[in-house]
Amino acid sequence: MPRISIPTALRQYAGGQASVEVHGAKIGEALASLTAQHPDLRKHLFDAQGKLRNFVNVYVNDEDIRYQQHEETAIKEADEISIIPSIAGGAVTEDEIKPAALPELTKEEVARYSRHLIMPEVGMEGQRKLKAASVLLIGTGGLGSPLGLYLAAAGVGRLGLVDFDVVDHSNLQRQVLHGTRDVGRPKIDSARDRIADLNPHVQIDAHETALKAENAFAILKGYDVIIDGTDNFPTRYLTNDASVLLGKPNVYGSIFRFDGQASVFYPKAGGPCYRCLYPEPPPPGLVPSCAEGGVLGILPGIIGIIQATEAIKLIIGEGEPLVGRLLLFDALKMKFRELKLRRNPECPLCGDHPTIKELIDYEQFCGITPEPAEAPGASDWEITPAELKAKLDRGEEVTIIDVREPHEWQIANLENYGSKLIPLGQFPARLNELNSAEEIVVHCKMGGRSAKAYEALKQAGFKKIKNLKGGITAWADQVDRSMPKY
Amino acid sequence: MGINLTGEHLEAIKRHGEATYPEECGGLLLGTLEDGVRVIREVLPLANVRPDSRHNRVELDPRDYLKAEREAGRRGLGVWGYYHSHPDHPAEPSGFDLAHAPFTEWAYLIVSVRGGLSAEVRAWSMRHDRSQFDEEELIQIEETA
Repeated sequence: MPRISIPTALRQYAGGQASVEVHGAKIGEALASLTAQHPDLRKHLFDAQGKLRNFVNVYVNDEDIRYQQHEETAIKEADEISIIPSIAGGAVTEDEIKPAALPELTKEEVARYSRHLIMPEVGMEGQRKLKAASVLLIGTGGLGSPLGLYLAAAGVGRLGLVDFDVVDHSNLQRQVLHGTRDVGRPKIDSARDRIADLNPHVQIDAHETALKAENAFAILKGYDVIIDGTDNFPTRYLTNDASVLLGKPNVYGSIFRFDGQASVFYPKAGGPCYRCLYPEPPPPGLVPSCAEGGVLGILPGIIGIIQATEAIKLIIGEGEPLVGRLLLFDALKMKFRELKLRRNPECPLCGDHPTIKELIDYEQFCGITPEPAEAPGASDWEITPAELKAKLDRGEEVTIIDVREPHEWQIANLENYGSKLIPLGQFPARLNELNSAEEIVVHCKMGGRSAKAYEALKQAGFKKIKNLKGGITAWADQVDRSMPKY
Repeated sequence: MGINLTGEHLEAIKRHGEATYPEECGGLLLGTLEDGVRVIREVLPLANVRPDSRHNRVELDPRDYLKAEREAGRRGLGVWGYYHSHPDHPAEPSGFDLAHAPFTEWAYLIVSVRGGLSAEVRAWSMRHDRSQFDEEELIQIEETA
């Protein structure tokens, strides 16, 4: 049977026992079993309405039930349940601090937020909490767009934006903060314009910079909630580490093709961090980015709005946060799944004996080494689009092998120059279609996949091979500007 | 209900308050209950895990409490109270203290730290109806082996 350990001060109401055996499959049943055996404990644990007193924390194996399913949390035979007092104090009473902390709403704000104000879960107090709150959006792209729009509309008082990118045509399929007329503008400028138009009551703090280990603490420390809308692993680990070290909640979301995931990493509240979920980054190149693998345009809308919902819940203190839960979304099946996440006691960042106490070099951690500076055209394994075009124009025999996927071929290809499609995945099996006596140029979208094809050919004994530098994208930029880019 | 502790225990509480000044500190009091008297055997300084308002707020990590309770149990002791500091405020419980005190059975010690130097330590108990604190006498005892 599970046992509940009783704090010293309450043991006199439990027959002097340090722990009591209880029945039940859920925490609520176990507590009922405890107070049935020892009725004197009831008034010490529950208030007059039968709710757990605010200073009573219940932990199952070192995890707070508030971050699980509360009194519905399931328990097993061997589980160790602990009643732990929350212990807090302070020199000044709350009343002396509170009024200054929560700003009043103006008449215009009351009108604007009326659909929030009539819900008891938000109400005037919740809306004032939103006005007092500050949220940092790391990235104003796919996830940052719905986040910025909805958090601003909801009345978050101060929004911080971190981005250094410029709006590109290929962003517009999903990054709804930015419009066609913004192409070429810094994203942070178009984001600021759009948000200011949506809700002029929101203060926007723009950080037009890449988030780096050198500036992360300075930027993050000014915000209550951090939201990870990044698209790369170094920044994702940096955001996680800086948030954990500063004790701030990190609302996580990520998207790829048709799949998305979201969670709230908040070790201070008993939950895990990103490193508990993914201790190590994947090897560089293994997990394609959205630029390489694509992403369904509405997907960041769905995941970003889940992140926005979590941020608002954290601010107003209502509901059950996604702490300790990883929400998985599959747009093709239109299904949500949920995985339970546990804090890893061995986690180097938020575990019991942390070894990471300051920010590190995240590029290096993720295995990304700066590209060595190269003289143009100097590398002997690559060929530039201009060099290839010149060769073809001279009538030289060149076999062009496109290692992309068939749906990419449909967008743009070099069929006019006799290009042949052999997707990278079919590479070893179809090598026999190639003649090692001919001069071969391999290409993909940007040059990454074709570098692998180059290696495979070299290993197979091919000698006369080149990799098209920058892929078909570079071809479109440098040789054929009429070619569509994707 | 009295509270017994040694001069060394008082010093440990004062040192902790001075070390974290101007922020608040907190810790647990391990000991035994003997004939209604809480006899403190060890002062256990703990981390203030409050992220904000640390100059006038302290919060202990529930996991630290759990560890302390387990360690106390191994040594035949229990957790019989907690102490915290009031930087530049008197050693009297605030309304916040009353609202956040867990047990009516505990001893609550407050050390006032003024300008970085500890002033007085006072002891308090919460009434059973949780309506207010009453001051308790701190009885200094000889060192125990």
